[in-house]
Amino acid sequence: MEKHNPVGEVVTTSVSRTDPVQMSKNEVSALCFKAARGAGMSWGLAEEAGFAAAWLHAQGFDGPGNLASHLNFATGMAWRDICPQVRPGQWSASSSVPLCPVAVGATLADHAGLPETRLAEAGLMTGPVSHPLLVLPFLAAVAQAIGKDLSVTCLGQKTGVTADGRVLGEVVALSAGEACELNIRIETLEVDRPAPREALPVDLDTIEQLNIFALRTTVPPSERSRAGAGSLASDND
Amino acid sequence: MPLQELDIKPMHNGNWRSPAEVMRLTRMGSAHPTRLSFLRVLLRRIQDEGWQFTRPVWDLDDRGVGRAVYCAIGPERTYSLVAFAHDLPEDMRSDRVIATAWDATFALFDGVPTPEDLDRLEKNVPYQEAGRVSIKELSLSRANRSVRLFNHVVERLSCGEQPDVEEIEAVGYLMRTTAVYGAGKFGAADHEVIRDRAEFKAPFQAEMLSVWLTRQFCADIVEHLAVSKGGDRATRLAPDLKARLGVGNSTGLGMAPFIIRHPVLLNNWVMAREEALARVRNLDEADQEAISSLHKAFAEAKVNLSQWRSEHALQVAKLDDLKQDFKLLQEKLQAFPEATQKPWDDLWCWGQKALSVEGQEALLSLILEPHGDLVDGLADCMSAEESGSYRINGAMETAHLRNLLEQHYGWALSIDFTKSENAARFWYVSEEKLEPRLGERELDDGSELEQPLCIARLASELYIRLSETQDDESVAAFLLRFPEHRFIVRRVQLVDTYPFAEVQDNLIADDMLPIDLMRCKLAFFGATHFDPRSDKWVRICLFQGDPYPLDPAETTENVHGKA
Repeated sequence: MEKHNPVGEVVTTSVSRTDPVQMSKNEVSALCFKAARGAGMSWGLAEEAGFAAAWLHAQGFDGPGNLASHLNFATGMAWRDICPQVRPGQWSASSSVPLCPVAVGATLADHAGLPETRLAEAGLMTGPVSHPLLVLPFLAAVAQAIGKDLSVTCLGQKTGVTADGRVLGEVVALSAGEACELNIRIETLEVDRPAPREALPVDLDTIEQLNIFALRTTVPPSERSRAGAGSLASDND
Repeated sequence: MPLQELDIKPMHNGNWRSPAEVMRLTRMGSAHPTRLSFLRVLLRRIQDEGWQFTRPVWDLDDRGVGRAVYCAIGPERTYSLVAFAHDLPEDMRSDRVIATAWDATFALFDGVPTPEDLDRLEKNVPYQEAGRVSIKELSLSRANRSVRLFNHVVERLSCGEQPDVEEIEAVGYLMRTTAVYGAGKFGAADHEVIRDRAEFKAPFQAEMLSVWLTRQFCADIVEHLAVSKGGDRATRLAPDLKARLGVGNSTGLGMAPFIIRHPVLLNNWVMAREEALARVRNLDEADQEAISSLHKAFAEAKVNLSQWRSEHALQVAKLDDLKQDFKLLQEKLQAFPEATQKPWDDLWCWGQKALSVEGQEALLSLILEPHGDLVDGLADCMSAEESGSYRINGAMETAHLRNLLEQHYGWALSIDFTKSENAARFWYVSEEKLEPRLGERELDDGSELEQPLCIARLASELYIRLSETQDDESVAAFLLRFPEHRFIVRRVQLVDTYPFAEVQDNLIADDMLPIDLMRCKLAFFGATHFDPRSDKWVRICLFQGDPYPLDPAETTENVHGKA
C-alpha cells in the first residue's frame, strides 16, 4: 500500500471546491455566531443567531443560508431601524426597512412570560421580517417555555411549532427569503407531521459568505502577536 | 457501588467552599487532578465493565510510516482509534496550532472502520484542520514526538538495552498531543449524538479514550522502530519503564477561553468536586481501610511530586512550596486521625492554615482518594446540556438583575477600569488559523475586535447602565433598548443557579496569567506534571503510571494506584 505523507505537499482538503459540506451542528453554531458578530450584531444577539441557524440546520432547514443572506442584506444597518417597536400585540418596524429576524425572535423569547405578545388572544402581528424562517427556532423556545403549541402565518401559509420542538405544516413561505409580516399565536395545527429531516449539507457559497463575515471579527497577524502566542522554548526537544 | 446521581443534591451545602474562594485564578491555577478527573472516570468504567482491546491493523514500514487501528470493545459498543504515522522533518515540528504537519495524526471512530473508512480518513486526518471528518468520528487529534526521549528509547531498544530511567523521568512521555478536537469539530459527531450513551456521560470521555489509546500507539511504534533498526537484537520496553511513560500534551492560549465560554460546564465540574469535598469533611470517622488508602495515595503523590519538573520560575516556586507542604503533611498524616469527631474535616481545616494554596489543593485530592463509594457517582453530574442555549428571563425586573450583580459580581464591580492596569490586555482571535491571542491594549492593534472574555468589565458596564434605569423595567424591555448588554445579562442570570460559573478575577488585568485557566481545565482532565513554558503555554502529562489498553492489568504495575 502506498503510504500517505502530508509533509511537503500543498495542504488541500478532500472536499472539492463545489461540493456542499456536511457540517455538524456545533460547527454551524460557531460559524454563524462569528458571522453575525462580524456583520455587526452585539455578542449576545450573535449568540442567538448561532443558536437559530444551528437549530434550523439540525432540523433539515437551511439556517446557514438564510442567515448569510440576511446578513448580506442587513449589514451596517442601525439597531433602531431593524429592532421591533414593541406594543401589545403589534410589533412594528420603526422605518421602511424590514425587521431583523434574530432581533424579533430573541425579543419574542425574552417576552415569553410578559403580556406584550398577546399570543393567547388575537396573536402577535409583526411588521415585515427579513428571512422569517430564522424566527422559527425562537418560536420553538417560546412554545417550550409556555408549554403550548404555536402557529405562525406568513403570506397566508401556516407553520406550526409544538411545545416539544417539532415543526408542522409548510415552510415554503417562511423559506422564500422575502420579507413578510407574521401572525404568531397559540394554536395547535391539525396536520400530519412529515418524516424527521436530517441536516442538509451546507452550500459552499453560504460557507464562504459566512466566513467573510466571520473574518471581520479577527485581527490580522503581526510579528509581535505571533511571537507572543507560543512557547518561549523550542518544540524540537 | 458508587452512587449514581442525576443531579447534585447537596448533602452538606453549608460545607461548600464559597465561589469567592474557589473561583480565584490563584487557586484555579493550583488545581490538582482528583478521582473525579475525566481520565480517572474513563479508566474506572473500563475496568468495572471489563472492556477488551485489540489492534486489528498495524501497517507501518521500516521508517515507522503507515497506519494502525486500535479497538476498544465495551459492553454495548466498540470504538476505534485510527492512527496515521508520518515521517516529519525536524524543521516542520511545531506544537503551535499554525503547524501543518505532525509526527502522527489520529481519529476516534464510532465503531469498527471498514477499509473504505480508513481510506477516507487517510485522505483527511493527516491534514487535521484542513481536512474533514464525519459523524462517524468522535475526535480528531495529532501528536509530536519528544525527539530526545523518542530517539533514545528506539536506540536503546534496538540494541537490546533498556532506556535510562533518568531520561524517561526527565520527559515523561514519548509523544505529546498538540490538539484533541471533539464535539463536532471539522465535521465530527456533535456531543448531542453521543451524550445519551452511558460511557459518554462524564465530560470529554471520547477525547480521553482517544488519548489513552494514543499512549499504546506511542509504546508500540518505538518497539516497532527498534525491531526495524536492530532486528533480532531488539528488545521490548520493560513494563516498569513503560508504566512511567504517559502521553504529553502541549497547550497554548487556545484552551484558556474554553472555561469562560462554557460557564455551566465549569460550574458543574467545580460543584461536583466541592460537593465531594464537603461529603468527605462531613464523615464522622476514619476507618482503618480509609486511613490505609490515604497513606497509599500520599505515597503515590510523593512519587508524582519527585518526578514533577519545571524550569518556569512561577512553577518552580510553587513546587518548592509543595515540597515543604508535603513535609508537614507527612508528619500530620502519621498522627491521623487526631480528632475524635469529623477527623477529615479536622485534617482539612489544619491544611487551610498550614499549607500553601498548592498544598491545600493537593490535600483535597488526597482526602477524596479513599472515598470512591461516597463521591464517584458525582462524575455523572459534570456534563452540561448547552445546545439549547440558556434563555434569558425577560420578565425579570431590572432591580432584581441589579441585585444579582451585587450578590454575585461584587468582585467585578470593585475593579476600577479607568486604571490602565485593570484593562491592560484584550483577548482577540487572530486571522491566522483563528487562534485566540492576548494583546496589550497600548501596544497592539485590534482592541476594537476584543472578544467578550472581559467578564468583569462587562458586568461593571451593565451595572452602571442599570443604575440609570427604572427599577420596574423588564429585562426584555431593557435589552430592546440596550442590545449590547445581552451577552452579560445571560451570564448574570445563569450565576444565580450555577454559583461556580464565573472565574472571579479580571481576565484583562496586566498581571493575569492564562496558564492558571489552563491548569484548572487540565486538572479536571486528570493532567499531572504541569510545566509552564511561558505564561501562555504549558506542557502536561496524562495517564502516567496507569495501565495500557493492550497489557493485561496484572502485568502492569499501577504506580498511581488509579483505575
